[in-house]
Amino acid sequence: MLRIHELTVSFGEKRVLDSFSLTLPGEGITALAGPSGCGKTTLLRTLAGLERPAGGTFTLPGEAVLLFQEDRLFPWRRTGEQIADVLPRARRQEVGKFLSLVELEGEEDRPIQILSGGMRRRLALARALACEGGVYLLDEPFTGVDKERAGRILERIRALGKPVLLSSHEEGVLALADRVVHLEGPPLRLREL
Amino acid sequence: MKLRRLARRVLLPALFWLLLWQGAVWYLLWAEELESTALFLPSPLLVGRTLLELMGTQVFWQTALASLGRIFGGLLAGVCLGTLLAVCTSAWGWAELLLAPAVRVIRATPVASFILLVILWAPTGQVPVVVSALMVLPVVWGNVCQGIAQTDPLLLEAARAYRFGRWKRVRLVYIPSVLPYFASGCHTALGLAWKSGVAAEVLCVPRLAIGTQVYYSKIYLETPALFAWTAVVLALSFALEGVLGALLGRLERRGSRAADS
Repeated sequence: MLRIHELTVSFGEKRVLDSFSLTLPGEGITALAGPSGCGKTTLLRTLAGLERPAGGTFTLPGEAVLLFQEDRLFPWRRTGEQIADVLPRARRQEVGKFLSLVELEGEEDRPIQILSGGMRRRLALARALACEGGVYLLDEPFTGVDKERAGRILERIRALGKPVLLSSHEEGVLALADRVVHLEGPPLRLREL
Repeated sequence: MKLRRLARRVLLPALFWLLLWQGAVWYLLWAEELESTALFLPSPLLVGRTLLELMGTQVFWQTALASLGRIFGGLLAGVCLGTLLAVCTSAWGWAELLLAPAVRVIRATPVASFILLVILWAPTGQVPVVVSALMVLPVVWGNVCQGIAQTDPLLLEAARAYRFGRWKRVRLVYIPSVLPYFASGCHTALGLAWKSGVAAEVLCVPRLAIGTQVYYSKIYLETPALFAWTAVVLALSFALEGVLGALLGRLERRGSRAADS
């Protein structure tokens, strides 16, 4: 189970999360849908331990791995190295597997400067998925990725068998999720449909 | 193509300045009605001949090699120490508090004061090494500090989120970010090391040193030898700059490619 209980996060005077609560099953793909700036990213960053909440608690089904809203690839590392860097030494041979997962097979030795925006996004996603963890928090994982490809990749992520919490604006992605949580804000709250 | 570029960028300017120099010699001969200008301004030909004569002796090569060794040693020591201090002052507030003022004092102190002080403290042969290192240290320190401060916080946060250990963070984030700043600092430091090192040799007069030869040339009014030894300093400086410059240039390009992405 993923339990968030009265979570509060502020940036100065601005309260982005104000006693926000949510309970989700600890399996499958959950999509967070809501307008830009409503607090989805702050929620994911807080769950990943990158923001310190002013109050409230949360429990996750395992250690969280976050895909950042920005690609944050290391400019001096090649495509394959980006993934190898997060893999433990014993699993370095799995680089190809994660590249295939996001349809970047054969790009292992390319400098990232010559990858398109969509390819970089997929590479960043592959890096996050390669990182060992119990739950994936994916912030806008398919920005710049075409709908059909995003659908195929999402199915492969589902097959990894780990719970996923993702934020997205793409209708196609939302349609493939096991459940969609509609949000609004700030401060972040559930939107009644 | 390469030859044409070399001619345009190196040979033509060199020829222009040599002709200007020779022109000045001819003007002195004509205007001052001198028999020879060897004392005030020796001709390029005379300097070249003196240099060739010097190159024929074993002492010349020993002297050049000894000076090169000293100055390269000073450069290396200054670069290592400057980098180490920069890491310390960036990592710990107390180190910044203690060490930063000292480095700023070194940066502001005139090189002549340092040379005279170091002559009192260090053995003669080591004075140019210490002086070169002291001149190089603040430049490298400043650049490396700037590089560390400019490291992308988003990449550092990513490294933390993906649970990189301390050494991995240094290797994959800090070092590539700092490299272009480090390379640029080394470029500046190279020239400084030569100038201060030879100046120190002139003032402390070690046994085998270009600076010592420059000093004796001045004492005995051997102006062509003074010019010849200065040409040796220039040649060695350019050679070292060529070797290190190629290496550092690669690092800088690597850094700027990273910054472009």
